[in-house]
Amino acid sequence: MIQKKWLPALAASTVISSLLLVGCSPGPSSSSDDPGTPQPGGHLVMAREADVATLMPTDATDNESIWTVEEIYDTLLVPSVDGESVQPALATDWVQSEDKLAWTFTLRPGITFSDGTPLTSADVKFSLDTASDPDLPSGFLNEQIAVIEAPSPETVVVKTKAAWTPLPSVLALFANSIVPENYGGKSKEEFAKDPVGSGPFKVKSWTKGQQLELVKNTSYWGKDKPYLDAVTFVAVADANTRATQLQGGQISINETPAASSFDALSSTPGLKASAFESSLTSFLTLNNTRTPFSDLHVRRAIAYAIDREAILKAAYFGKGAPAGSFLSPAYWAYDANVKGRQYNLDEAKKEMTLSSQPQGFNASILVSSGNATQLTIAQILQGELAEIGITLTINQMEPAAQRAARKSMDYDMAISVATTDITDPDEMVRFIVSKAGGSNSLYTGYENQDVDALISQAAGLSDQAERKKVYSTIQAKVDDDQPLVPLFYLPSLYSYSDRVHGFQPSITGNYNLVNTWLSK
Amino acid sequence: MIRFLARRLGLLVLVVWGVVTATFVLVHATPGDPARTTLGDKASESAVQALRAEWGLDQPLTVQYWHFLTDLISGNLGTSFQYRSPIVSLLADRLPTTLLLMLMAVTFAVVISLPLATWVAVRGRGGADIGVRIFGAVAQGTPAFLTGTLLVIVFGLKLHWFPVGGYGRTTAEHLHSLVLPSLTIALGIVPMLVNSLRASLTDALQSDFVAFGHSKGLKPATVLAAYAIRNGSISGVTILGIQAGVLAGGALVVEKVFAIPGMGSLMLAGILGRDFPVVQATTLVFAGIVVVVYLVTDLSYALLDPRARLA
Repeated sequence: MIQKKWLPALAASTVISSLLLVGCSPGPSSSSDDPGTPQPGGHLVMAREADVATLMPTDATDNESIWTVEEIYDTLLVPSVDGESVQPALATDWVQSEDKLAWTFTLRPGITFSDGTPLTSADVKFSLDTASDPDLPSGFLNEQIAVIEAPSPETVVVKTKAAWTPLPSVLALFANSIVPENYGGKSKEEFAKDPVGSGPFKVKSWTKGQQLELVKNTSYWGKDKPYLDAVTFVAVADANTRATQLQGGQISINETPAASSFDALSSTPGLKASAFESSLTSFLTLNNTRTPFSDLHVRRAIAYAIDREAILKAAYFGKGAPAGSFLSPAYWAYDANVKGRQYNLDEAKKEMTLSSQPQGFNASILVSSGNATQLTIAQILQGELAEIGITLTINQMEPAAQRAARKSMDYDMAISVATTDITDPDEMVRFIVSKAGGSNSLYTGYENQDVDALISQAAGLSDQAERKKVYSTIQAKVDDDQPLVPLFYLPSLYSYSDRVHGFQPSITGNYNLVNTWLSK
Repeated sequence: MIRFLARRLGLLVLVVWGVVTATFVLVHATPGDPARTTLGDKASESAVQALRAEWGLDQPLTVQYWHFLTDLISGNLGTSFQYRSPIVSLLADRLPTTLLLMLMAVTFAVVISLPLATWVAVRGRGGADIGVRIFGAVAQGTPAFLTGTLLVIVFGLKLHWFPVGGYGRTTAEHLHSLVLPSLTIALGIVPMLVNSLRASLTDALQSDFVAFGHSKGLKPATVLAAYAIRNGSISGVTILGIQAGVLAGGALVVEKVFAIPGMGSLMLAGILGRDFPVVQATTLVFAGIVVVVYLVTDLSYALLDPRARLA
């Protein structure tokens, strides 16, 4: 690229003299260091695709906002990094009543908000009551909560409408962050401008659309934590710019580096690149309400015709794994025995002959314009599905327009991704395969009443092993019905300076910057 | 002159009205609901409807347009859906950045073009002429994102002279950060500017008044500066005026490549996030910049040449 197009660069060098007038900036600094024991201090700069939209936990819907809210506020519990369970945070312990309809949480003693006000059960009650408004973006997750009580300053009781095991996991959700009761006497709008939480960091300054600077909350309850003095999130929309800024030493962490550059980054001195386990799963969604996708044999034929390994190499540079079950291995409920219909052209052709369209048909696939990964996948699918007589037209649409088309079921096939907000599988199972789950089974229109009944049953069971069995049955049934084709389980990619240590996002994406530190 | 000015100002208002109306129609006709885009796939339909109502999107389009126009006339540009803050404060933050970027781009364009064009005009046809023509063709044919990336690689990553993106905090840092972005935009304008300047300078050098200057016994450099360049560069002003649209378009691309928090990046984020008020306001400002530059160009013409006032 550079060699072919050296002329403009050469031409630019003719004006070096005018550039020299402006002066020079220092070069990048990089030093490798044995991690050893965490060192306090330092200012971490992370570049992300976009700026935070809101610092109100209940309004956050974009990842930038969600993952920032989690640094400023606390929740009663937090997801464990591996996603297997929830861990104590503001609440040190919790018990479910005999009748399974009430949960009692005991708050950690001596906690204050970053402004010094003590945090009590009244704050928790206010926060959870507020967050349960069904008109809020994440309000639906709290719909099983019947009432929240605060019998003493350090005790909170949450009563549910029915026995509901996902509750602790839901209370670890960002939207259920604890804010001061009545927003500390402010209106919601005023509070949003100058929010107060009890998390490891507090807001220092925010230039909307550009950058947000957080500083250490010195009254944070975690011993010796956080290590960092300050964190700045800068909005850098262009992936190449983020990558060059990291190489140039201007930032410490690059969120979502391009998969194509991942291996090169790993071998660049002074830099590290990591693929963290996440719940991110990609699907080929099929519009089950349209012919011929309403035909089970057509859906199965498509699943068999897709060579996931080949696509993974071409589109994700091998970063990820071919998917079997619709539920990712990041969940404890994942069933490895559900292998899905993996690439088998003979089986694909056999299914096509059994279908209503043995001669094949024309169809279109929705792709987000500007998304090179989706386009690559669609182009490969074009070739692969041609083998079984499906002529695929690629229909590129701008992301918001694409979402609108899927929402109104005005499409044949689309490439979709799903991630979870909580560690309990309940949310994702409802989102992907339940028509009542809000997204019309990830906009496939799939409806199986047996599956819906099993989803409700699993939510009410207390024993995890028993729940796992029910989720296995669900995964097997969905695999039989093939409403969509699970494609890949994808990691979350980060590249960062080798001075950054203890950076370990959890499967829900939470950065856990409380444990992150910078070596000198 | 006053009638001329009044007519031009009237046209300006008409053009701006046309632009904002077209933008209003286009953003509302484009598929993609702002509330759903903001809330994501998981939010319930009632949450989406609540937000639509809060933003006034549940009202008929004609009512929305009426509110938009009356607000606009009273100077209220609305509130951003995405950032949940008044557009005016976002613009106050972003506009100076983009104006500075455009100003630096024009400065670079002139600083590069004038010496190059003069050099070629004086040397006449030959190696220099061919060299500059090739440079012009390549610079004009290279898209801004590629030029920008190349400049970043050479001057940011290899030489470490300039930051590889961002805007810094202090004025000195702002200026430092804008060098590569403004140079990128400038390189897109330079070829046309050089061509036009070279042609008019060549003409000027062959004119009677230059011959007169030489025969007066003035130094060649004085003749060049006082007679040839002064007369020959008028065409350059016109070209720069016409390029105002290119400058604004350049800002869109370059701000993204260099992570400059200006009007261009605000507009792009607005379009992708279906932030209607932001798209409308940024379009209005860009349109305003372009028509004002055109007006100033027209006025300078009218001042220089009275015949233009009749046009």
